[in-house]
Order: sequence, then structure tokens, then C-alpha cells
Amino acid sequence: MKLKILVSCVAVATALNVNAAQNYADFPVTVKDYKGDADHSVSYTGQSARHVLLTSLKKLAGKGEGKDDQALQAKLLAYYAGKDAGREVISPVSKGGFVVAQSQVDEISTKKNLAGKTYKGAVAGWPGSMTGAEVLNFMVVKAASADKGFDPLTGYDYAQLIHKFAMGAVFYNQVVDNYLDEKLDADNKPNNKPYKEGQPYTGKEHVWDEAFGYFGAPANTLNLTAEQVYNIAKQKESAFTLADLNNDGEVSLYNEMAYAHAYYAAATDKGGKTNYLHTIMQAFVDGRQLISDANGEALTDKQRTELKAYAETIADNWEKVIAEAVFKYAGSTYKDLQKLDKLIQSNGDVNKAFRQYAKHWSELKGFALALQTGKDNLGETAVKLNRLIGFSPVLLGNTQVLGIDAEGNYVQSSSISMKEYMLHMLNVQKLMVDEFGVEARSNDVMADLGGLAEKLGSGASVEND
Amino acid sequence: MFESLVISYVQDLWIALTDPRKRVFWGYLLISLLIAICWIKWVSPDRGVRVKTHLFNRKVWWSASARADYAIFLLNRLAFLFIAPVLLTQLVVAQWLFESLYQWIGHRPILGESWSDMQVMICFTLFYFLLDDFFRFYLHKLLHEVPWLWAFHKVHHSARTLTPITVFRAHPVEGVLFSLRTALVQGIAMGVFVFFFGGRVDLVTVLGASIFAFMFNVTGSNLRHSHIALRYGKALEKWLISPAQHQIHHSTNPIHFDKNYGVVLALWDRLFGSLVISQPGQDIEFGLRREVTYREQNLLYIYMQPFIESFNIFLSKVRKREKSIAKN
Repeated sequence: MKLKILVSCVAVATALNVNAAQNYADFPVTVKDYKGDADHSVSYTGQSARHVLLTSLKKLAGKGEGKDDQALQAKLLAYYAGKDAGREVISPVSKGGFVVAQSQVDEISTKKNLAGKTYKGAVAGWPGSMTGAEVLNFMVVKAASADKGFDPLTGYDYAQLIHKFAMGAVFYNQVVDNYLDEKLDADNKPNNKPYKEGQPYTGKEHVWDEAFGYFGAPANTLNLTAEQVYNIAKQKESAFTLADLNNDGEVSLYNEMAYAHAYYAAATDKGGKTNYLHTIMQAFVDGRQLISDANGEALTDKQRTELKAYAETIADNWEKVIAEAVFKYAGSTYKDLQKLDKLIQSNGDVNKAFRQYAKHWSELKGFALALQTGKDNLGETAVKLNRLIGFSPVLLGNTQVLGIDAEGNYVQSSSISMKEYMLHMLNVQKLMVDEFGVEARSNDVMADLGGLAEKLGSGASVEND
Repeated sequence: MFESLVISYVQDLWIALTDPRKRVFWGYLLISLLIAICWIKWVSPDRGVRVKTHLFNRKVWWSASARADYAIFLLNRLAFLFIAPVLLTQLVVAQWLFESLYQWIGHRPILGESWSDMQVMICFTLFYFLLDDFFRFYLHKLLHEVPWLWAFHKVHHSARTLTPITVFRAHPVEGVLFSLRTALVQGIAMGVFVFFFGGRVDLVTVLGASIFAFMFNVTGSNLRHSHIALRYGKALEKWLISPAQHQIHHSTNPIHFDKNYGVVLALWDRLFGSLVISQPGQDIEFGLRREVTYREQNLLYIYMQPFIESFNIFLSKVRKREKSIAKN
């Protein structure tokens, strides 16, 4: 009997093993003549540290008290541009039964910052003709004196602006415009040499790992549903055992947590209409397998072509994830404007609704700016997007930020009305559909049409009267 | 691939008979049958006839014409499995209109805020019904009056016997036009109403069908294509098209040609001067003309002839144009 049970258990375990998809972990060491004692070649600690720097920065950006605060400013800058030791993890921290392993950024990786990896191109969608890195710096400084990240005079929510823009200007940009671009060339970080002397990974292995690290997905994503990955990012207790891949009773912020665009991909996919998270993750895993299979030899042209196809899948879907977020928050902003309009007409208290409007607008703006930090210049699409959204939300007196003066103060001028601005939000959604083919379409301004269309039924039939 | 095609085909046929949004839903057929029985037994001028032989006459239900109807029904359904996915949908029209209204007006005035949801629903349902009924009337009129369209619509009028399945006797080209009409009507109604009234817009339904479509169908819509000359009486037939009036539309008598295009309302025919009121004891022959023509119920002929005819119409127009240019 016991033997029977044992045999059954082995059979079930084998079956489970067969069904389990590959984790982004434990790829073997393929570096020729490697002398060290590493038993695998996967490493993306620097990227995970930057995720934690950004989530912490977001949290800090919401700590201002509406007055000049040099100490907070210095702290914010330490997370954005500093490299010094001693920075604690401000977010994500343990929450109920969801225990987080690291409490210091240095436990993940040392001497990392965001500023050094931020998009160097000009940001047309933000006033002041600044580079990506300068814009983030500017926002970080402003956040220090804002009221919980919020500036009522401009409608900016800096915590949201910084977080959403940096996800693009650092992570997305680094991946699609660097790691999965020129670093896939034959003579750049070749596969027949270690990344650096003495390291257990080859040039191409590490390039691929660093790209993966920026995506922000847990290593076992292919064995999780989009909803589960979403719950991990939200630190729901129910998701703890799913996240704790190595069963050590803690979730490692290195490879067991969900961040940034992987989280947004999961949030989008859990609606059931899209599959961005697993498409991107599968391409990362398949690409890594291809590099591993080369066994420390330089990649052939054929292999690199295949690898570039995976890179293209990643870049295309990643861009769509950001476009879906732009679509979603244009819809939220639209609804907020609708609510504000009603409140204004009924002489109601607009404070709470305006705060919500500022939050959603800032998320929209952050994602819209992020979308423009990819490999390709979006050209006319970017111009349209920036003009539709403007430099700030349309404010209660029908004004909008037009620029920044020499002292770094915002300059406002009269603008279109809030009602007209609603049309801009609709057009932003339309632009995302036309240019990026977004499919999940959360908060679709025209969603009511879909339900009604279903009710009326299809007219495709050959019925005479 | 083949298997999924068969499944969708069978599902499609099943839906045609079981969805109350469809004309030949079994419930409507049953009600039409009951109405027909009552009519023959108690109202019709020739109420002496045996109900069974009058209703289930093999000469009607298994005539060459009826057999062609059945085949056309099955073939068209199959064709539409491939055609339907590429047709314009009501959602595309609605979205375009919604966006266009926004661009034209510049903002979105929300109307009827003091109205109850039910009032908004009734308005929408009524608007949709009127728009749909008018578009059906008008496209039908065009199908008769534009020569190349008539070439295709003749397929429907070549029926010699009428059964409820004759409603499906149409050339696929006509089917495409009907689908576009529906997309346009639904798209306009949805686009306009959702734009002005927001998410409160809804359809008043019975068993999932619009209340007007339901009423039309439970009052014997299936008898329009039948040999039961159900009349509504002169007063009502000025407002609603009765089955007998639609049968006049199928008449081989030239005085009945191009009359009674309407579906539910007689109003449109009255406005355009094409309304004919039915007469008691009317005895009508159905078809394109009295003489039976060779191959008129042949499927290949039914499907191909409209293309040949419309091509000839096109060709003769080109020649006429060339002649007039040469003259000048």
C-alpha cells in the first residue's frame, strides 16, 4: 500500500513537473573555462534595486507637507540620483503575512541609482525643453514642497508623474533602446566571452537578464496567472505562497516580486482580453534559453535573428502595455471631468473630485511621456498626444500650464474649457486605438456602445421583409 | 477548421429558430399558426375550407418554389459565415458617429437629466423602431426602383408560393445590403443616443427582443409570407401593413407592382404614394409575372442571373454614354 502511494506521488510529481513552465532562473553557467563556484548564470540585481528605488521614491514623493522641505528634497534626490549606502527600502515593505526579505536597497544591489540610467533625449511633452533625466530631477525637487505630492495650483500629482514617467524613461527606455537594441549586435557583449572577466555569465546572457530585470516580473510568472501576479504586486496575503518561490518564508525583492510594467501588463490582462504579460515573459524565457543553448559560443547570425525576433515581441507588447495605460487613464480623466462638471453646476464641493482628477491626469501624463521614450520617435503621434493632453490638466478657471519661467515657476494661461478638454480625452483614446491597436480598453469612454450593440444583436443576416 | 465550421453553422441555424430576436423563432411561428387557424375558422371569407388542407398544403410547402426557399436559406446561412465577419458593424458606425458628434459640437451636452431611466429607454426604443422601419421601407423601395438592385431583389419575388421561410429567399448581395442597413440604423440610433444620454440608454425588450419587434412578430409577421390573406381592415391598414397587404406586394398583377414596400408601418407608403389597401377575398398569384419561365426555381440561375443582368445594365449604360459622347 505504502509503495502504491509512493509510486502515485512520484507519478503526480513527475506530471506536475512536466506541466510546469520554465522559470526565469537557474539557467546554467556556459562561460568557457569558468573557475568560480556559481551554479547558474542568471543575474539582474541592479534592475531589481532600481525597481525598489522607484517604488520607494514614489512613496517618498507623497510625503511632502506643502512647504519647502530641504531634508525631504535631499532624501528624494538620494533615491533618484544618489548611490550612497544606507538607503532603506521604503516600499514595498512587509505587510501583514506578506513578508518581504530585504529592508535595505543595498541588500539587493549596491551603488545603484535611477538618474544615471534615465532617458537622455528631449521630452517634448513637458515644459522647459529638458532631457528625461532633467525632467525627473525637476519633478523630484517640486515634489519635496508639494502637499502629499499634490500641487493644487497646477493639478500635478508628482508621486504619480514621477512613478509613471520613470517607468518609461528608465526601464522601458533601457530595454528597448539599449539592451534589446545595439547590445544584441554581434560585436557588442559577445556570447563567447564573460560579461566581465571572472563573471559566471556571458555578455549576451547578462544583457538579456538585465533587460528582463527591468520588466519587473517575478521569475515564476509563466506558472502564475495575470491575476496572481497582480495580487503579488498588491502584496495580498493570499498571493504570498505563490510569490515565495524558494519557500524560505520571505518574498525576495530581487526575483519574487512584481513591479512596474509587468504589474501593469498583469492588471491589463486580468480583464481577459489581452495576454501581454505572458507573451512578453515567454519571449524573455525563450530568448534566454536560446542564448543558454549556444553554450558559451558566439551567437550565429541565425541565432541573433531569432533572438531579435523575441526582442521585437517584447518591445511591441511592452509598448502596447503603456498605450493601454494611456487609454485607461484618459478614460478616468474623462470621468473625473464629467464629475467635476456636475459638481460645478450644482455648486458642490469640488476639492475631493479635483484631487482625484489631478491623480488620474498625472498617471495619464506619466504614461504618455513614457510612451515617447521608446526606441522609435513616435513623430506625429507624439505631437498629437502632447497637444491633446497639454502640459497640465485644464484647471477650474479654464487655464492650463503653458511653460516654465527662468526661475522654474510654472506659467499659466487661459485654455479650452473643461468640457472641450473631455473631447481631448476621447481623442487620446482614439489615438491609442488607431496607432497602437490597444485591445483591453479599460475605462472606454464609448463603452456604453458595446453593451448596447450586443443587446441589439448582429444585423448580418439575409432576411427580406 | 472544418469541424468548427460545421459547429458554427449548426449553431447559426439553431439560433435562427430559437432566438426571439429572429423572425422565425419557433414561438412566433406557433403564434402565427394559431392566428391563421382562428382566421380561417372564424373570420376569413372562405371560412368553409378545411383548416388542415389549407394550412399544410403540400403544393405550397413542397412546391419547387418552396424547395428553392429552403435551399437558399441553408446556402445563404453558410455563405454568411464567411461574409458576416468582414461586414461593417453597428459598433463601428456608432463609434464614428459618437466621435463625429463630439468634434462637430465641440463638447458633449448631456440631455434628459431630469428624465427617468425608463423615459430614456422608451425614447431610444421608439427612435430605433421608427428609424429602422423607415430604412427598411426605403431600401426596399430602392431595390425595386433602381434597375441593377432590382436584378438582385427579383430573387425574392420569383417565389411562386409563400411560406415563412420565403423571408430568407434573397440573393446574398441583398443580404449584404440588409446587413449594412442594419449596421447603419443601429449605429445611428446608438451613436446619437449614447452621445446625448450617456450610459442610461437601453432597449425596452421582451424576451430579449425590442418590444416593437416582439409585437410585430407575435401579431403574425410570419403570415406576410403565406397564403393566409389576413387583413387588418381599411382603417388600420392605413397605419400598419397587414399580411394581406404584403401579399399584394408579391402579386403578378401589374397594378400591384411597386406597392406596399413597408414592413410594420404603412405611414411611409402613404407618404411616398405606394400604399394599397387589401380587399376581402383577394385572390393573388405570386411571382414576377403570370407566365412561368424556364429555370425560375433553378438555384444556379437564381444565384447567377442577377450578376448577368446587372452587368448588362451596366454595359448598356456605358454604351449609351459612349453614343451620347460620340453625338456631341
